[in-house]
Amino acid sequence: MSSKQTPKISSGALVCGDNKMHGDITFGTNSIVHPSCTISAESGPIIFGDTCIIEEQAKIIHRVPFYRTDKNPVMFIGSNNVFEIDCTVEAAKIGNNNIFEPKCFVGNKVTITDGCVIGAGCVLTDEQVLPKNTIVHGSGCKQREALDQPNPQFGLMDTLMRLLPNYHHIRKPIKKP
Amino acid sequence: MAYIVEPDVVRYACMCGLLKPISRLYFCRHCLHLRCGFCVCHEVDSLFCGKCLENLPSTEAKLKKNKCSNCLECPSCHQQLSSKAATVAPKNPEDPKATPKKVIYLCCLNCRWTTRDVGIPDQEVGKSGWPEHENVHTNRLNAIMNHYKKLVLKEKQQQMDKDKKQRKYTTSLAERTGVTASILRKRLGMTELKNPLLEADDLKPAVASKEIVDSIEHLLTTPIKLNDITTIDQRLKLPDWQPTAVDKLYPVHKQLSVKRSLRCRSCEHNVSKPEYSPNSIKFKIQLFAYYHIPEIRIVTVEPLRIGKQCELLIKLINPTQHQTTITILPLEHLDAIQQEDTKVIEDPPETKEPLSFQLLQSSLTSHPRQINAKVGTDVSIPTSSIILPARDDAAEYDDTGETQNFQDDPKLVVFRKSNKAVIKLLVAPMENLELGEEVIAGFTMQHVYTSTIATTTENKEPQKFDHKMKIYLTLGTLVGSQ
Ligand SMILES: [Zn+2]
Ligand SMILES: [Zn+2]
Ligand SMILES: [Zn+2]
Ligand SMILES: [Zn+2]
Repeated sequence: MSSKQTPKISSGALVCGDNKMHGDITFGTNSIVHPSCTISAESGPIIFGDTCIIEEQAKIIHRVPFYRTDKNPVMFIGSNNVFEIDCTVEAAKIGNNNIFEPKCFVGNKVTITDGCVIGAGCVLTDEQVLPKNTIVHGSGCKQREALDQPNPQFGLMDTLMRLLPNYHHIRKPIKKP
Repeated sequence: MAYIVEPDVVRYACMCGLLKPISRLYFCRHCLHLRCGFCVCHEVDSLFCGKCLENLPSTEAKLKKNKCSNCLECPSCHQQLSSKAATVAPKNPEDPKATPKKVIYLCCLNCRWTTRDVGIPDQEVGKSGWPEHENVHTNRLNAIMNHYKKLVLKEKQQQMDKDKKQRKYTTSLAERTGVTASILRKRLGMTELKNPLLEADDLKPAVASKEIVDSIEHLLTTPIKLNDITTIDQRLKLPDWQPTAVDKLYPVHKQLSVKRSLRCRSCEHNVSKPEYSPNSIKFKIQLFAYYHIPEIRIVTVEPLRIGKQCELLIKLINPTQHQTTITILPLEHLDAIQQEDTKVIEDPPETKEPLSFQLLQSSLTSHPRQINAKVGTDVSIPTSSIILPARDDAAEYDDTGETQNFQDDPKLVVFRKSNKAVIKLLVAPMENLELGEEVIAGFTMQHVYTSTIATTTENKEPQKFDHKMKIYLTLGTLVGSQ
């Protein structure tokens, strides 16, 4: 699985060059991948939805638990997810509109639905399904339910789309046939 | 720096008998005693809000229940709330003239709680202040409070009457003439004044009811959703309402912070006094032990075995601007001196001081508690003492390796640089220790303290004192025997 494969980048996505990517990875349209992040598809392919932001030092690792025996499992990540600086996410199923705040850790037994926020420094390792709009926060990883899903950060994305190509190498997206 | 001085490895015995690291101690330079936060008088200097830094006089703070009227806290996680701007679509979208309205709501950046979560209406831009959440029982609480105030006054009155009866022989002008204020008022034809607080009030006592208001049946039949129930912390943060469901949470006013000064208990001099302004982090007086008492750090210690002499290297640092001499003495040395001291105190001293001062003194002299540390090792006491030069900030960055001419015992002093010296002690863990037990070594350190109090013109030489204190070192666990 560790064979060098070039990631599949949909048109409109912005993927910086200086990052570590292993395995079969697909980025949806309008995704933004900052430099120096790690995306590793160890157990099977990773598929990102549209308009995801992956910031510096973020680690997204597809490593299923040893007791899972399904063949070639796929890691699905929905749309509008934000992976902030130095977060580690191993959850194999992630819905839409989630935010992973800096230095949080989400283990590979966790399933994330929609509109969840994993607070800075929070650690989730036990087998669980986070219900919709769950917010995990604080040193005690307390959970609460929010009223709405977090708003997509369109302003930020516009700025990044404009600025990142000026200062970084960019991986070329695949031309659609 | 906290990681160097914070671990409780080297502890100094405070005057009160508590063991604290040097960073937690104060040094009263007037009575030359170590003081900890436990044995100083705490005084409130000023009250301020930690967010908007508004300084409030204590009477005003009391009226506002010690809370800032501008700043609000998240009821869910107790962090500060920030206002967020949003645009709301006009009420009737068909109207072409209607423009989107700008509104403000409060949002917690930590747990993302918003005022919208509990249905508090958004505020228009430019309007200040959020509606207060009124307690439904305010009237009743006020009535009860008034009632108790009256009771207090009544009791005071009764006590005063009692005192008057006892003081038969001391007569005031009114008593001698037999004309009191109330009689005078009657003679003048005025109505009797009545203290409004002394009037009886019609407070109805609460009635206990047999029935439980809230039916608890649903607790037994429906599964509990933990996310909808408030935690104890959240309930106690809102003592007026103590909501049980998260949709009843309401922003809380931020509690004020206090700047306090600390006073030595025996001589009443300040050991710490901050500047009044909440913007300032400086101190007017800061007699922290860290700046006056030689600091001790453990460099290395050999694995501790019973019956073996283990080498212990400790570093001594002189933080003062004066040269000092450090002598290591056995632990019992100070006990003997202290016993003598207490004897002196027990004898009634010849009274020269004003009585009030003496009363104060006698009420404040407290006997130190037993020091709670089991010493598990003997320490070899060096025969010579160590001279430490004054601290020189410039020398810290000087790598030229200056040579100091101190007649050191080479067996004792291992290393020396500017105001620091590393000395070697030998420790021998005692026989009665068990494997894996923590070994504590103790000794008395005597150092020459040069007084920094401004001296009078007659003797310009600053005064020097021998100051002694007990030091306890936690050396680690016993690994075995020889
Ligand atoms: Zn103390
Ligand atoms: Zn304030
Ligand atoms: Zn909060
Ligand atoms: Zn004092």
